[in-house]
Amino acid sequence: MDQIAYLDIILRLTIWFLLTSDFSLANIIIGVSIAFLLPRSYTSSGALQDWLRVLWEIIVAIPQAYVEALQIMVRPHNEEEIVRERVKPRRTPGLVFLDIFLITFTPKTIVLKYHEQGWYEVHRVRRRKKR
Amino acid sequence: MNFILIAMILALLIPIYEAWQDNSIWQKMLAFASIATKTSIMILVISVLRDDWWIGVVAVIILSVGNAGLMLLAHLIKRFNEV
Amino acid sequence: MIEFFSYSCIVIGIIFWFWGTLPLIGKRSVLFKLHSLSVADTLGSMSIVFGLLLKIPSEWPLLLLAIITLAIWNTVLGYVLAYCSSGGGEQ
Repeated sequence: MDQIAYLDIILRLTIWFLLTSDFSLANIIIGVSIAFLLPRSYTSSGALQDWLRVLWEIIVAIPQAYVEALQIMVRPHNEEEIVRERVKPRRTPGLVFLDIFLITFTPKTIVLKYHEQGWYEVHRVRRRKKR
Repeated sequence: MNFILIAMILALLIPIYEAWQDNSIWQKMLAFASIATKTSIMILVISVLRDDWWIGVVAVIILSVGNAGLMLLAHLIKRFNEV
Repeated sequence: MIEFFSYSCIVIGIIFWFWGTLPLIGKRSVLFKLHSLSVADTLGSMSIVFGLLLKIPSEWPLLLLAIITLAIWNTVLGYVLAYCSSGGGEQ
């Protein structure tokens, strides 16, 4: 049982308590038992620092997404292009998923495809054509 | 608060119109995704308006389950196009 | 004061909705519409729900869960739609 498993269980408990918002003893027992009973995947998990950094990036991404939204609202971005981006090395599937999530969350960029060889295809809008 | 609801209904009409007039299947899918999100947000607004917890629970459930169905449908359509 | 903030959040969200949904009607590629929809449906709705949260803080667990599911599911749906529509030959 490493740190990721703890994070996993904490996440489940958070969702449970948010959904029921009931702190009676019976409810806490039900929540904890459900959190432990649900199946867990035992694939390789990334280093804890990577996860913490990604969590921080998610917090930063929310205001950034609003800023980008205002940018495309004020000045129309009419050009589209597809670029390729490299995946950072030694990423586990969970971290790759979070990367895709972060890129797609900001309105200017959407991940089209993830290549196994370590490339994302990113579609983005820009203001004017590159010469 | 009623004014907000009317504005939301007007915004909801746009994707409905799009889903009706466009024949391309992916454009229709986009419109449906937009309808799904907008309706559940409207339900959430109504639940706050009426101060009713359980309507809000329904809205949150629709918010997650409706999108999952759309994802499944998108994969199905992709498979059909490949055949 | 909080009343004012909550109403302005909701109004901003509705403006986002209209701005992001109107391009749906035009003749653009699916991906371009997806960009504007992510502004409308994810960010606009998040702002609306945040406004509701300020208005009625007693329902915070439900509304917070709504914001989280909204952000995650809409983004993943955007990715899935982009992936499927680009692989499926159209555009």
